[in-house]
Amino acid sequence: MRLSFARQLLLLLGLAFLPAIGQAIYYRNAASWHQPPVDSALVSLAQAKGWGANALWLDARPEEQYASGHVPGAMLLNEDRWNTLLPEVLAVWSPERKLVVYCSQVTCNASHAVAERLRQEAQLKNVYVLQGGWEEWKKANP
Amino acid sequence: MEESESMTGAEVRPAGRDWLLIVRRMLAFLVGAVFVYAGILKARDPVQFATEINNYRLIPWSIGVRMAFYLPWLEVLCGLALIFHRLFAGALALTTGLMVVFIAATVWARLQGIDLACGCFGSAGANLTPAWHLAIDTGLLAALLYLWLRGPGRRPRS
Amino acid sequence: MRALLLVVSLNFLLAAVGQAALVWESTVANLHPTIADKTAVAHFKYKNTGDQPVRITSVHASCGCTTAALAKDVVEPNESGEITATFTIGDRSGMQAKTITVLSDDQPGQATLLHLNATIPQLLTINPVFVYWSANDVLEPKTVTVDVGPDFPVTKLNVTSTDKSISTEVQPGPDKKGFRIIVKPTEGGRPINGTLKIEPDFPKDAPKPFYVNLRVDSRATLPPK
Repeated sequence: MRLSFARQLLLLLGLAFLPAIGQAIYYRNAASWHQPPVDSALVSLAQAKGWGANALWLDARPEEQYASGHVPGAMLLNEDRWNTLLPEVLAVWSPERKLVVYCSQVTCNASHAVAERLRQEAQLKNVYVLQGGWEEWKKANP
Repeated sequence: MEESESMTGAEVRPAGRDWLLIVRRMLAFLVGAVFVYAGILKARDPVQFATEINNYRLIPWSIGVRMAFYLPWLEVLCGLALIFHRLFAGALALTTGLMVVFIAATVWARLQGIDLACGCFGSAGANLTPAWHLAIDTGLLAALLYLWLRGPGRRPRS
Repeated sequence: MRALLLVVSLNFLLAAVGQAALVWESTVANLHPTIADKTAVAHFKYKNTGDQPVRITSVHASCGCTTAALAKDVVEPNESGEITATFTIGDRSGMQAKTITVLSDDQPGQATLLHLNATIPQLLTINPVFVYWSANDVLEPKTVTVDVGPDFPVTKLNVTSTDKSISTEVQPGPDKKGFRIIVKPTEGGRPINGTLKIEPDFPKDAPKPFYVNLRVDSRATLPPK
């Protein structure tokens, strides 16, 4: 027996609900249902600049890249020399300051890794990652 | 076989047409397999898929996240239907519809300048450049349209 | 018309699943460097199984910490070669995943991703690495947890402080695993910026010290007696 076209559509559309609902129940606590998960860790260049002297800029790139150009006043803090660089950062940090970590561009991972280590290991609050990274800064400051 | 049911008047077919039938069946199988594959890749991480849908900025998050749970399974089901040649017309229509919507959304997003990581093939798709993605998607759509216009499983002509 | 459509669509499908001439022995390398290693090296071997020479046009690592070296970029038919990826560990720990993107002219538009997964053993896991008494804080003791990595025979920690007014006491951790360091500043009224140096008794010949950073705000007050 071949079902009519309409019935075929309904059957397919309907059957797909079963595993979908099952999965949704499984993920009910893991998914954010009403708003996109807020990546509160990202900050735009405009916002970060707005913090003025309160911002503490951290460059998560390899040392050579930092040496050839970095955000004025930014300190180097990368994973290669984390143990020697971190104390210097902590020495100038204070609780009111907002940390802005950047690496080369949108897709690089180093800034997120450094930001996460600052949150987890040093238990610092107000750690942000610059959206767009060093590329974004250069576009705004040619 | 369902083909002979759909062509109600044409019980006897010239033998030379059989190769075309085999090719059409193989095409349906291939396309179905691609959909099953793509669907499973997306079903593995629905929250990630929801984020990718959201990147197109076409629908609100609350709708997109629910679609992210539903669409992959619809794809898998339709893919299986194409492979096993059951509910064929319905599956064909749904997959064609999905492809059209998806290609349109991709082109729209590109025109808006949105930088997309295509969600269609999950992490396997990370290897493909955007041009190749579009080529594969257009190829799939072409195959689907072909099957739709000429293939078995059409409504019986009455 | 139908035949054309059929040929076109099949062409796309075949191109998508087409076989590449360059075949990789494995595209995933799982490395387990020891605590003494400074780098972790992976060798990704490939072979040209096609009948045309293949040129590797680009090899690009996802981060600055991984360098990928290619002996030569043109691979003749039947020739084998390898890409040597060197991951400089630096001060990283835990699971590290880096990718190397390889482009070759036998697969235009499609990149091969080589995955280097390194599990960096951690002799000690210290949390937190920064202890801070703020202006509003009372100078109560704070605890630093030191977990010892599995299978490392650390029995003792030697803790020294750069600022003598900060006292430390080492206690065994919960369930006899690991340690706890109780840190307590004994003087108030001045800003303190110091470090704790933690030296485990393993490995005996080359112990590597770990550090915890300390800061005390000058306005923090001593607890009432």
